[in-house]
Amino acid sequence: MVHRRTLFLGAFLIIMLAFLASVAGALAGPQAQSDTSQPTPTPDPRLSISDEVCLGCHGQPGPSMVLENGDVLDLYVPQQDYNASVHGSMGYACVQCHRQIGNYPHAPFQAKDLRDVSLQLYQACQGCHQEQYALAQDSVHSAAMSQGKREAAVCTDCHSAHSVRRLNQPGTLEMLPEARVWVPLTCSKCHNAIFIKYKDSVHGSALIGDGNPDVPTCIDCHGVHNIENPTTAAFRLRSPEICAKCHTDEAKMAKYGISTQVLNTYVADFHGTTVTLFEKMTPDAETNKPVCYDCHGIHDIQRVDDPAKGLEVRENLLGRCQRCHPGATANFSSAWLSHYIPSPEKNPIVYYVNLFYKFFIPTVLGGMAVLVALDLNKSAGGRVRKLLRKAIPEKGTEVVASEESVQTGAPEGVDLEADQPGVRPEQSDQAQDMESPQADEISASKEDEAETKTPPQPLTDEADTNPDQEASHD
Amino acid sequence: MTASLPSTTPVEKSVSTIRTVPRFSVGQRWEHSIVLISIVLLLLTGLPQKYRATTWSQQILTTPDRLYAIQNIHRIAAVVLTLLVLYHLGHTLYLLSKRHLSGNMLPSLQDIRDAFQMGRYLLFLTNRKPKFGKYNFEQKFTYWFLFFSIGIMVVSGFILWFPIAITRILPGEIIPSAKLAHSTEAIVTLVFIVIWHFYHVHLERLNLSIFTGWLNEKDARTYHPLEFERLTGEPSEPRQTGDDH
Repeated sequence: MVHRRTLFLGAFLIIMLAFLASVAGALAGPQAQSDTSQPTPTPDPRLSISDEVCLGCHGQPGPSMVLENGDVLDLYVPQQDYNASVHGSMGYACVQCHRQIGNYPHAPFQAKDLRDVSLQLYQACQGCHQEQYALAQDSVHSAAMSQGKREAAVCTDCHSAHSVRRLNQPGTLEMLPEARVWVPLTCSKCHNAIFIKYKDSVHGSALIGDGNPDVPTCIDCHGVHNIENPTTAAFRLRSPEICAKCHTDEAKMAKYGISTQVLNTYVADFHGTTVTLFEKMTPDAETNKPVCYDCHGIHDIQRVDDPAKGLEVRENLLGRCQRCHPGATANFSSAWLSHYIPSPEKNPIVYYVNLFYKFFIPTVLGGMAVLVALDLNKSAGGRVRKLLRKAIPEKGTEVVASEESVQTGAPEGVDLEADQPGVRPEQSDQAQDMESPQADEISASKEDEAETKTPPQPLTDEADTNPDQEASHD
Repeated sequence: MTASLPSTTPVEKSVSTIRTVPRFSVGQRWEHSIVLISIVLLLLTGLPQKYRATTWSQQILTTPDRLYAIQNIHRIAAVVLTLLVLYHLGHTLYLLSKRHLSGNMLPSLQDIRDAFQMGRYLLFLTNRKPKFGKYNFEQKFTYWFLFFSIGIMVVSGFILWFPIAITRILPGEIIPSAKLAHSTEAIVTLVFIVIWHFYHVHLERLNLSIFTGWLNEKDARTYHPLEFERLTGEPSEPRQTGDDH
């Protein structure tokens, strides 16, 4: 019995132990696997893994890796390049960007091809440069990327990965003069055809040749990280503002003797008015109305007195006109006032038409307004005078005054004076002045009366010719 | 202006017939109506284009399509007005060739004397208003001012419409000059119509003879006494002349 019982107990224990062992084994197995596949991110990599550790392997040529498509990824990082970079010079460690890499042996890294490597690793930039990264998401490059164009530029394509250069003044964040020169070269890595045009343009040659800080580089017009698609209708309508940024800057333009009226004069003319209107009301409207670059060129902008392309040369300007106005002849091009404000020297016809209206409008309209005002005053004033006369009768002239009041209150055109229909007004007027001077004494001052008496001689002469005219009318 | 025959009582008024004198022919009335409609259309479609920088204009010209539609209406109205001007000139030449053209719209020395007299009258220097014929100097001024205004508008408008053809003959500068003239003259014309023409036909007295063709006796006697005398053979001032004769 006892033997049996111990035997049974022993068997039970063995089964239990086996069960526990299998459970423990099952639990222990995955634990060991997860340690190798998912390395925990180093809490403070600067302290944990120094650059020396990395450069121990990557500091000399040799290490490489074959990617899925057979591309060979060179894993050599020239130390002097990195140390010279803005990051290296400020003491940033490899693992601050390469956060996923962990210690050696590294976590497995998979990439289809070399481009895939960049596309995976540039994500590290947003760790510190969140703002720029976010802006870049709105760019034409990012849009192209999302449409599957893998060659569209990402951070490292422009800035490089390990040789990132300082572009700004540390304090002011103002762009370094030498960095401005680098910009077109950077863009030219992909946009070489445009760079070739730009480098010989009035802007490009000044930048590349003289390092002139006033001329625009690519990014001054296109923006930096959120580079907009420049082929849209919206960009086209907005583009004059881009040019105007510098070309309405008095200080900048004064150096080169360039007028800052270029935007005003453009907006004042047909094309500019329409473009400005559309830009405001329907910013993405398609229009063929020319903007600055339609005449001046986009990247190959030349001085206006350039013999080959300058718009001061009439033939060049006419060529631009004819793109949209095929039948245009030589005179047509001067319909555009070439940004000049009309003056007696430049565009005199326009100047004098303007001058004419400056005098014509106040003269005619002012004259009419005065006549209408006098007419109103006459009709109102007559009544006022009548009331005044009644209210304050002047002593001695009371009878005359009341007579006058009857006259002014009478229906207009119905003259109470002895005025025969056949008699000309001036003659009768003279007669009236002689016959009833009292009435005039009240209605007009003595000087006025004298004035009325001076002109009768020529007027009666004219009046003499009148019956003939009257006859001809009848 | 407020002239009313002193002896008329309400009863007499209710039974009195209004005598009228002919003033404008049917053709002239049609011409005026067409000018009126086309000028209103031209202003409605032209002013938003002139004042493109203002908000009210931009709310009209919101899209390129609307701008082009407005420009087309402007051009159609312009063609109507141009045809009317041509008809008017042609009709005048026809009347001239038939020796039927009455010269009563032509400016004369009498107009200058009338204007001088009117000025004295308005300045209270005399109590007598000048006696006018069919068209007084103000009406002649209105006609000729609008005649030349419309002339400038039509010519400059067509220059703007066909710049390429125009610059085959004329210097290119004519285009911006025409634009300036067109846009400024439009305002001159508008203000002229509003302060001068409206004043004389609406405020001074309501004168609808250009639509009805007839002028009532009272207005004819008051404002166009010489024409009234010519048409009726009666003196224009019955009470007055009665005293005098």
